[in-house]
Amino acid sequence: MSFTPYTYFQCPCTESNLPTRRLGESTPTGEEESDQDDRTFDPRAPRANYSLYPLEHLLYCEDCHQIRCPRCVLDEIVTWYCPNCLFEVPSSTVKSEGNRCTRSCFQCPICVAPLSVSSTEAPPEGLGAEHATQSGPYVLNCAYCTWSSKEIGIQFDKPNGIFAQLSKIQNGGKPIVTPRERRKDREERTRDTSGSTMNEDGVVEDLPGTMNLDPHEQLDAESQFSNLKAFYQSQLADSSPASALGFTGEYGYGSPGALSRIMGLYTGGSFSEKKAKSKKGAMREAQDALEGLQITSPASEEKAVNRLLSEGWESTASAAQRKEQSHNAHFVSDLRPIAHLLRTKRSKRCRTCRHILSKPESKVQTTRFRIRLVALNYIPSISIKPLQPATLGRETFLTPMKPTQFLLTFKNPLFDSVKVNIATPASTPGRFASKVTILCPQFEVGANTDAWEEALREGGGKGTEREKKRTKAEASEGQNQAEAGKIWERGRNWVSVVVEVLPADLKIAGPAFMRSEELKKDDGPLREDEDVVEIPVFVRVEWEADAAHDDTTGLTAASRDKEVKEKRELAYWCVLGVGKIAQD
Amino acid sequence: MSKKVAKGEYIETDTGNKVSRRSQIIGTTNIILGGKTVIQAEVIIRGDLLRTLSSSTSDKSSGNPVAVAIGRYCFFSRGCELRPPGKLYRGSFSHYPLKIADHVFVGPSSIIEAALIGSHVSIGSNCVIGKFAIIKDYVRILDGTVVPPNMVIPSFSVVGGRPGRVVGEVAEGEVDGFDLREVYRRVGNS
Repeated sequence: MSFTPYTYFQCPCTESNLPTRRLGESTPTGEEESDQDDRTFDPRAPRANYSLYPLEHLLYCEDCHQIRCPRCVLDEIVTWYCPNCLFEVPSSTVKSEGNRCTRSCFQCPICVAPLSVSSTEAPPEGLGAEHATQSGPYVLNCAYCTWSSKEIGIQFDKPNGIFAQLSKIQNGGKPIVTPRERRKDREERTRDTSGSTMNEDGVVEDLPGTMNLDPHEQLDAESQFSNLKAFYQSQLADSSPASALGFTGEYGYGSPGALSRIMGLYTGGSFSEKKAKSKKGAMREAQDALEGLQITSPASEEKAVNRLLSEGWESTASAAQRKEQSHNAHFVSDLRPIAHLLRTKRSKRCRTCRHILSKPESKVQTTRFRIRLVALNYIPSISIKPLQPATLGRETFLTPMKPTQFLLTFKNPLFDSVKVNIATPASTPGRFASKVTILCPQFEVGANTDAWEEALREGGGKGTEREKKRTKAEASEGQNQAEAGKIWERGRNWVSVVVEVLPADLKIAGPAFMRSEELKKDDGPLREDEDVVEIPVFVRVEWEADAAHDDTTGLTAASRDKEVKEKRELAYWCVLGVGKIAQD
Repeated sequence: MSKKVAKGEYIETDTGNKVSRRSQIIGTTNIILGGKTVIQAEVIIRGDLLRTLSSSTSDKSSGNPVAVAIGRYCFFSRGCELRPPGKLYRGSFSHYPLKIADHVFVGPSSIIEAALIGSHVSIGSNCVIGKFAIIKDYVRILDGTVVPPNMVIPSFSVVGGRPGRVVGEVAEGEVDGFDLREVYRRVGNS
């Protein structure tokens, strides 16, 4: 478990959300603001976890000139696609069919690996075997855990459109009555109830065109809900026909209640009042499975328990497997293949100014971006490494109470040179305070121009070479000993400075003067990651940019104005994780 | 000062490929390297696992059949293995070509049996990529992942676990980090 040094940046969006609302407080807001400036950033605070990001995860808004983190951007969906077949799904289909792939993309219910369709027919042999097409019944196979849909008794007739075929078969091969078929059946029945056939025995015969649905059928949650809903809607319509509420169900303007109300408006108020007082018909409850009634029989519980006793724990589905299923699956043989959830391509927008920060291409195959404003192209990146290169193969821990020096390299991505100011509190926050000293808090980093451009500007390659050698000579003077106020090394668009760290001793029990205030208050055992030295650094970057304006129809006076350089600055906190302190 | 031609770790070809002397590359006539690719020590590339052509289609084949095709600026770390995947198709077992695009980094001791790997992919150490997996562009596969056979990994995914699942997305700022040109330049002493 090796430790790699990291640099995390804090997004300023969290500062504005700090709970500083104290009702009835008489302190003026000016004092609160200065309090925020003085307050140092504590990377160990629980809130800090949500505001720190590596630089690659941050975007930059050009209008607001601010960093934007994944938490303070608004996402908008550009395209929906299936992650397995990479087929684009139009958003209208997503709204109607749901957010899963409706083709043949399924995941194994046991191990979440992708399933492939294969024929159950024996492979052809002999001459011409490669040209023979197989047409046997098809099954879904998992190549990772060798599960097959045969284990739940499901086979398919066609190799395509598995989603539709799967929705019609239960585990075990029996057909499922789909919601659409149930609705059609219900409509058939209601349409013919006016002329219901009733023979002499008083038994209602089956109407032609309807299905033979079992009144004691075991319904799953979805069909039970739709049956109950339809039943209650019909009950409401039947029980209160004369009410002014003509809005029950989907009858619209043609409902008897609405009609009577409108007629009442024309004929006068007295008639409508009388009608409103008519007794409401009694509503009954559902009587059988057709109407949505499900009676739990004690026998069903026994069946499950007996199965459990005979098959054992191995046959039950695990919590993760059950979570993926849409119905309550107790046993492994109840599990059904899971359709892949659709994935999206999203564009990100700044929350305050609604400027688009990142916009991918809408085609699934292209990986380019139409717009991509990443923070890497706007703020200097920071990388850390120890000044003395560590011996290979050995776990490098920081020895407590031994001053260690680290090299911080700032790389400038902008086309203008920037002035960087860094500051850090003298000791790191937390229970074990390490002392930090920055040897050079102010320096300038060159612009990120190409080497050619710089050579052309200087007027010949010799000039730049000489300059490089000069700076190297300067740097080598300080190479053995890091001096305060001097940078360590400089390159075309980067600068490295030295930071000295005195790691704290991790002893909890010790002489009182050695322990920090926080340690005195809380002397529990060493918690996770408390031995990591995290240095909060406040970085302020200043640069002069050309004030860029859109309209360039320039009169000479106007163009001169545009050449005036605008001074810009950006300030943010970052956290440097330099290393772990050794515990002895 | 005369330059001694020392026997270094890598052999550099004219297209800029740096191949270690201690790598095991079998069937070199069936392997295509795009250029500026680094192959470290103990890497095994199975160019001998070819597609078994039946007699009817032999007229179309021109030149050498390709078993492994690799793009530019790829990096194969120590001990990894590239194997073209094979399956039983219509009665006969045959291997299919393994195609790898540009800027692909493969970590040490990983086994690759995929069908297609897109560009700018970073595969961690000790991974197993199952047969006929298709990995699209800009994917990061974490250390120790086992990607199941036939899995399709869409672009900009972070994949981990056994079996491999998509556990995250690659941020827009990380896109430039997949570029392996600097890594190629750092590999020294031929």
